[in-house]
Amino acid sequence: MKLKGIECLEMDLRKIWKLLRERRAVSTVVSSVILTGAVIAVSFVVLFWAQYRSSAYNEQYSEAMNADIARLKERLAFEYVFYNQSGSRLSVYLMNCGTIDNVTIQTVYFKDATGALIQVYSNITLKQFNGDEIADKDLDRGEEGYFMLSLPSSFVSGTCSVRIVTGRGSTFDHTFVA
Amino acid sequence: MIGTTFMVLVMMFLSTSVFLWTLSQNTTYNEAVRARNQEDADRYNENVVALSGNYSVNEVTDEVTVNVVLKNVGSVTVQVINLWVLDSVNRGYTNKSLNLNMKSGDVLNLVGSSWLKVTILGAKENHTFTSWFVTARGNTIPLEKELGVIIAQLAQGIGSISMTFATFRYYELPGNPPANPPPLGTDIGSPKYNFTMPSNKWIVFGVELTNLDESREDITLYEKSCIWLLSPPDSAGAIKGDTWYITRVVGNKLSSFTPQVLKYGSRTMVYFGVCYGKSIANSITAVNILLFGKRGSTDYGQNLPFVAMNVN
Repeated sequence: MKLKGIECLEMDLRKIWKLLRERRAVSTVVSSVILTGAVIAVSFVVLFWAQYRSSAYNEQYSEAMNADIARLKERLAFEYVFYNQSGSRLSVYLMNCGTIDNVTIQTVYFKDATGALIQVYSNITLKQFNGDEIADKDLDRGEEGYFMLSLPSSFVSGTCSVRIVTGRGSTFDHTFVA
Repeated sequence: MIGTTFMVLVMMFLSTSVFLWTLSQNTTYNEAVRARNQEDADRYNENVVALSGNYSVNEVTDEVTVNVVLKNVGSVTVQVINLWVLDSVNRGYTNKSLNLNMKSGDVLNLVGSSWLKVTILGAKENHTFTSWFVTARGNTIPLEKELGVIIAQLAQGIGSISMTFATFRYYELPGNPPANPPPLGTDIGSPKYNFTMPSNKWIVFGVELTNLDESREDITLYEKSCIWLLSPPDSAGAIKGDTWYITRVVGNKLSSFTPQVLKYGSRTMVYFGVCYGKSIANSITAVNILLFGKRGSTDYGQNLPFVAMNVN
């Protein structure tokens, strides 16, 4: 039984050796089929890769474009800026007069009369004009709201300015007398 | 050959689709830019003026009423959504939501309107107020109040009290002078806007006075204030006159006199009488309105000599 298995193995090796020593080429049809198949396979790989790359590009471009359009639609109007000297507090009354909802206040910069940046505020609490906090923390179209800032005790008074940076990256400037 | 053709087709398909898609994205962006430019243009074309601005203050209730005429002189429809009023003296401020829609050319007379009534704690008649409206597009419309100041400045040449010429009137009361002078409580009837009056009737004059004092203090008129009708010298050289002393009319009826307060900036009808033209009959007369009282805590006197009256 064991002898029979060894004989089979020997026969297989002979066949392989014969095939390797064969001098005749495979037929033209077979070679063409193999080549075409290979080309089509590679082509599909390239197609899917290119499709993937172009989709990624489209997505990236689309996101950038939508962000730009959203920024274009943002507009904030300063209704009133009131500086309370006794409490050193600044109240900034705003209205979203743009054409897009959900305008958030990301950062507020305060510059004194010399133009020097005095303080940066990043944790802004938006309130309605009646004093209640705005629940969704943003201004929708036509919505009005205000926030208060505690100004530092020492800055050069005169025509000061505030710069508001929104969550989408738009900036709005306003000057006032403090 | 097949592979090359296939590759070329794939590349063309991909590049075309990406190009067209990019083109559509750019179109969307350009559309947004165009919309933004249109909004900007609309905002710049918004032009509403707030004319004839004035303030009246109820010092008891701290209510400030803004009297103004709004005129849309721009080419676009405007929605006024907010009114801001600032009391510059006590640094108080407030705002009131509005919803006033104005087509191009519209004029809104809001003098005395309750829409423009706001509450500022501690507001006084002699305080300086500033106010502005806010439109839905984010523009602000400042109130042009300077007309009152101009009148007040003009009044400084003649005094702090101005008279409204157009509303000068007199009333003929029942009774035949010199007998039966009308008692308190007599209805004074309807006004006569005329510059010819009878000498044989009991007469009450009505004069609309406005306190435009520069210091914005109230002026109180006392009982010596009067209207003095004075005729030119007659052939004998005599100058004659009759006097109507200041009085009170409440509910169109004669009432006993109490000092008359002229609030800053508001018109007050002041009455003089009852008297009749016993010495000036058949004569043209100069109507001198002699006013005496207090401005704040100091004496104040003024003569307004602008009306002439023909007495039959």
